[in-house]
Amino acid sequence: MAAETPLGETRAGAIGVRATVARVGRPGSVLRWVLRGQRRALLLWAVAVALVSGIYAGFYELLDVAEMEALVDSMPPGLAAAMGYDQLGTATGYLEFTVYGLLGPILVLVFAIGFAARTLAGQEEDGSLELEVTAAVGRRRVLLERYAALVVQVAVLVAAITAVVGVLVAAIDMPVGAVGLAAAGLGMLLLVLAIASVTFATGAVTGRRAIALAVGAVVAVGGFVADALADLLDDGRWMEALSPFSWYLSGDPLAEGVDVVGFAALLGLSVVAVAVAVPAFERRDLGV
Amino acid sequence: MTAADVVIRTEGLIKDYGRVRALDGVDLEVRRGEVFGFLGPNGAGKSTTIRVLVDQLRPTAGAATVLGVAPEVGGPALRARIGYLPGELAMAARASAGDLLGYYARLRGGAGQARIPVLAARFGLDLTRPVRALSKGNKQKVGVIQAFMHRPELLILDEPTSGLDPLLQQEFRALVREARADGATVFLSSHVLSEVEVIADRVAIIRQGTIVDLDDVRTLRHHAGQRVELTFDRPVAADAFRGLPGVEDLEVTDTTVRCVLRGEPDALLKTAAAHRVVRWSAEDRELEDLFLDHYRVPVGELRTDEEVPADGR
Repeated sequence: MAAETPLGETRAGAIGVRATVARVGRPGSVLRWVLRGQRRALLLWAVAVALVSGIYAGFYELLDVAEMEALVDSMPPGLAAAMGYDQLGTATGYLEFTVYGLLGPILVLVFAIGFAARTLAGQEEDGSLELEVTAAVGRRRVLLERYAALVVQVAVLVAAITAVVGVLVAAIDMPVGAVGLAAAGLGMLLLVLAIASVTFATGAVTGRRAIALAVGAVVAVGGFVADALADLLDDGRWMEALSPFSWYLSGDPLAEGVDVVGFAALLGLSVVAVAVAVPAFERRDLGV
Repeated sequence: MTAADVVIRTEGLIKDYGRVRALDGVDLEVRRGEVFGFLGPNGAGKSTTIRVLVDQLRPTAGAATVLGVAPEVGGPALRARIGYLPGELAMAARASAGDLLGYYARLRGGAGQARIPVLAARFGLDLTRPVRALSKGNKQKVGVIQAFMHRPELLILDEPTSGLDPLLQQEFRALVREARADGATVFLSSHVLSEVEVIADRVAIIRQGTIVDLDDVRTLRHHAGQRVELTFDRPVAADAFRGLPGVEDLEVTDTTVRCVLRGEPDALLKTAAAHRVVRWSAEDRELEDLFLDHYRVPVGELRTDEEVPADGR
């Protein structure tokens, strides 16, 4: 039996001196590691969303405004408005209909929901979270830093879109203000984060990647549909209260700037999601 | 025994999963500086107990303390003093083994970073290969290294040699001995007695969620015994072998005698030598066999001062 050693005394062993000071992980270690592992994927996604946004924004040049107006006039009254075609006449309307209302959010959401479900629940399920959580970091730190990685990546993708659109707006002289661009970018960021946060929180609570993915997809698709139907249906306005897409877009951010109520609701949803996730993740069994 | 001397203590630990009771009152006491083996068949509750100790699972009832602190409240400061190797190692990172180990060192404030290449060389681990391309054995090496590298006070290892070939198992045992010489405490689980008895001081056996035996390793081996088979050149009488000291479960068929032998083989050998022995075999019995013949010694009935001399009588 080894000789008793009073605690707090360092002893030189065969291989070196063991520090008796507890060494805990420095803040940011998890975040940096996750981002490092995501480098390649994030770069590819940024290029993809920038390309798609650029193509759509660039198309504005080719749109024949006169032809567009003729098309709108030829449609049954109300239908054009319902389909949003009446938007296409203006630059901000066009961008909101294509990049900001459809392709941008969809692409960034696909990335964000996938990552949000994988980074906590997915890693827990396949067992690779165990060594991280049992290292000298708390469960809370692991959760918050992985969430921060989500935020950073979504911000990068939205910034890529904003940059490309901004360059094209200037290049082809579209009547879109910098304030509008910033507001729409902020709105898209908050929208994607809200839905991704719900996904992330579902993963933190259930520990199941598939469930997190499903919930995220339902909220995204359901929100998108509710927003579209709100315009289409008579008396459909109430649906806007339920859809994060409406909170983001119904204030027409590209033209009107930040919609404080809508954006606050999106931010609130993210905050609530994280507030639910942290205690749930701290309290339950992991890896069962 | 002062509080500082007990490194792991569990009292009446109970863990339920819905209606399944995985731990049914586990009582353990691991002392500072010892190598403690935790044995049991698969499904007995070894991993469950260990995962409670490292705060992955929360007990349904009962108490546990690790280094004097409940795992749930110990936080990062407690974890910094522990090296943990999970029973099921899953590593899917695209990063190289060296990068992953560097990450785990950073998660410990940098502790252990310097030892990574040294330990990797000892185990023959290529640090440049991506982790997810590694074989099970190589992944296990990564697991062992991350548990030992920061030279923790307490090592909690769940089936640590699984996937390691015999040579590496030897290297692992050397690591354990060095850790113990360094003053560390090692708590390791296995379902194979022969692996553990070489390095452990004391061993607890868990079965169906409770501790059924707690012994010095030597006593345990004495209880386990050997399976002996002797073949003679002509049929022998069973009566000659019945009642010999240490001989149980005697089976005599024609020219073959099979039995379980506990203790000294002297009487059995001398009896066998009276005949012409054509073939002999003696195999250590394993844990699984112990449970098959319903060997069970309630801990309360154990005489902890039971002496087992080196000759095993």
